[in-house]
Amino acid sequence: MLHVSNIVVQLPNGKRLVDQVNFTVGRGEFVGILGSSGAGKSMTLRCIVGLTRPNEGEISITGCNGKTYRTTNVKAQELRRARRHIGFIFQGSNLVKRLTVLENVMLGRLGHISPVRSWLLGFKDAEAREAMVALDRVKMAHCAARMAGSLSGGEMQRVAIARAIHQRPLIYLADEPISSVDPRNADAIMSILQPLSHETPVIGAFHQPAAVAKYCTRAIGIRTGKIVYDGPAQIAPRQLEYIYGESDGDSASLVWESDAQPPLFNSGVEAVLHEGVTV
Amino acid sequence: MGSSSKEFFRQEPPILDSKFLDWKFLEWKKSIAGQRGKQAVIALVLVLLVALTAWRCNVDVQSFITGINKGFPLVGMFFPPEWSGMADMLQPLGVTTVMAMAATILGMCLSLPCALAASSNIAPPVVRQVMRAFIALERGLPEIVQMLLLIAIFGLGAVPGLVALSFSSIGMLAKLLADAIEEIEPQMLEAVAGTGATRSQVIRYAVIPQILPALFANGLFRFEFNVRAGVILGAIGAGGIGYVMMTAMNSMDYQKACMATLLTLTLVFFSERISDFCRTRILDGGTPR
Amino acid sequence: MNIEVPAGALPSRKFRMTILYLAATAAAICLLFTYLDMSPSSFVVDFRFIVDLVQQMFPPNIALFWTKKTIFLSLIDTLSMAFLGTVCGGGIALFLAFFAATNTTPHPLVRLAVRTLLAMERSIPQLIVILVLLITVGIGPFAGVLTLVIGSVGMYSKFFADSIEQADKNTMESVESLGSTRLQTIRYAVLPQVMPSFVANLFYAFDYNLRAAIPLGVFGGGGIGFELAFANGLLHYKDVLAYTILIVVMITAMERISDWVRRSIITQPQLITK
Repeated sequence: MLHVSNIVVQLPNGKRLVDQVNFTVGRGEFVGILGSSGAGKSMTLRCIVGLTRPNEGEISITGCNGKTYRTTNVKAQELRRARRHIGFIFQGSNLVKRLTVLENVMLGRLGHISPVRSWLLGFKDAEAREAMVALDRVKMAHCAARMAGSLSGGEMQRVAIARAIHQRPLIYLADEPISSVDPRNADAIMSILQPLSHETPVIGAFHQPAAVAKYCTRAIGIRTGKIVYDGPAQIAPRQLEYIYGESDGDSASLVWESDAQPPLFNSGVEAVLHEGVTV
Repeated sequence: MGSSSKEFFRQEPPILDSKFLDWKFLEWKKSIAGQRGKQAVIALVLVLLVALTAWRCNVDVQSFITGINKGFPLVGMFFPPEWSGMADMLQPLGVTTVMAMAATILGMCLSLPCALAASSNIAPPVVRQVMRAFIALERGLPEIVQMLLLIAIFGLGAVPGLVALSFSSIGMLAKLLADAIEEIEPQMLEAVAGTGATRSQVIRYAVIPQILPALFANGLFRFEFNVRAGVILGAIGAGGIGYVMMTAMNSMDYQKACMATLLTLTLVFFSERISDFCRTRILDGGTPR
Repeated sequence: MNIEVPAGALPSRKFRMTILYLAATAAAICLLFTYLDMSPSSFVVDFRFIVDLVQQMFPPNIALFWTKKTIFLSLIDTLSMAFLGTVCGGGIALFLAFFAATNTTPHPLVRLAVRTLLAMERSIPQLIVILVLLITVGIGPFAGVLTLVIGSVGMYSKFFADSIEQADKNTMESVESLGSTRLQTIRYAVLPQVMPSFVANLFYAFDYNLRAAIPLGVFGGGGIGFELAFANGLLHYKDVLAYTILIVVMITAMERISDWVRRSIITQPQLITK
């Protein structure tokens, strides 16, 4: 169970990137977070894993044995303990390119290993076997001995998922896992994530409403830092338009107002272009 | 622009009028003139500097010609090399090689912690500043100066040479490595830290594997350099082939000096080839571990 | 659980291999040390010597900077040696580089010959060059300059040749298709491409030569290195430390300056093309 209550991320100038976000994710859910770029999807996920400290609010994760881990208002050691139980899949996969694929997967368990052991002995064979199982789940077992840097983008993303699986977390967070891969790989990745959600909740930030509608059980829409939709994954077109800010008072114009710049497409710009050509 | 180009535009429906073209042309002319002026100034400064430095260094065509006239007979005296002396020179040659090798390995091992302490994404700012200052000092201190001071401590022998070479190796390698560490994408470190790893584990599993190829490649480059520098250090007291060369020249035993030169030449030549070969293999995505 | 870990990727095996490599390297070094009579015990130094030396060095004889006027002249001598060595060596190296690069050489055999000669020339130890030159042209900075020129030619013609070989082939072909001669192709297609890296390399060469000029001075090439060796021979350690400070300041300052100039030169062409 993940509880996110009232988190706020504020820039020094007072602008709120995440504004009073509240939600609870339980067993068996596959949540897709939707919203335009800069709406606060990634920031919310980064807050959950503690890479960004929210200015207000609380985040807690409860395991099946009733133990609770917090990533807000905690010391570094406690934060590390909480992070062991969160499988975070980054947008660009962020593998260590000069390590082998298998070693990259084993990195998932670093939180459970004492620093002394990781410097002197490294990983154990048993851990390598477990990592192979995780690799097999994402169908990358044949690449185990290759250097991570030699993989393609989609393959790297799958290895990153294997790393999260090997962590055996209480929750998976995926930050735009399919935005930098081709459609076929995106499909493959989504169909890896979906069965994972039967055992452990998965929260993903996505740009593709169609993929969310196809695979997810629930969708959350975020617009300029606020939750504006929380419900079934199949979102009505009108609501979708509202999330992406295409209906009344679109988000693009809001941005322009704040930065005091003219909107990109209006008749004035065209006139200027025309003049430039005919001088 | 000449009239021919204007004609060209008249045949076609005019896209740009001639006024605009003239204006553009003038602009271009101006920028070219500016460039030419700058180049002339640079050339003038260079000529002046060359004249000044040539005067300071007593560059003299006369002494150059007499030097050549004296040089050919002298070089003639180098041949034939004294082949019989080769067997005795292998040991000093080995001393120079091992000195360079050990200094490189020592420098590589010690430069790693120095580089970690000198990079902004790992070390706190104060530590980084101190370490950067230390590295700058190391780089500013030529190994021959270190050698002269170390001889006062250790006495003559390979040990001061070894220490001097490894110190200056640290200076060079640590700077290159620290720059390499600072270039690592922060997202990658974040990803490893996101699994709950401690800072030391992030260094062990994200930073070190990423910079290890750079360490080996630069270390090989440094080995090549250390061989050359080791010959010079040998002449002022580190022993090895440089010392043999120096004594042979001082006692005007030119054929022996020639033999020593040939051996050194071979050593330097092959160390360059080997380090080139290994470097391309490492940088071609080979497995450095 | 039927998925096997590839044998090479098994952690225990990797660990054993690492240990094996490290042990082998250490053993080889130790063996070579003992075989070459470089006993590691000589590393253990009486701490007294260090304390003694430090006591003799401190405080450095800073007064030397204003009492001895020639000190700055010798500093300028060292800088002049490095500068002249870089300019002459760089010029000759650029000339030879066109013969040593595959895309500009008149004939592959010329390339092979030039490359081989340069490799040999690069391997000649600087020590023997300076010793021979001291006899022929006499003691003084001129011998040092010639040594640096010889060293720079060998080192940098290889770098330049490599950067010429990396020059864009399409540009050369497009200029050639306009009916240009080989020299014109080099002037208008190759030179503009390699010039930035050429200049940047020259600044590196200057840094390198400045460092190399100091040992040359010690052997009689003049400049600050000569003064330092002289003071060291007289065991005037306070003077030695003062000279050392001067050398460190000079090298560090020149490195900063050449870094700065290099950066401003390399970014300049982009500004002009805008």
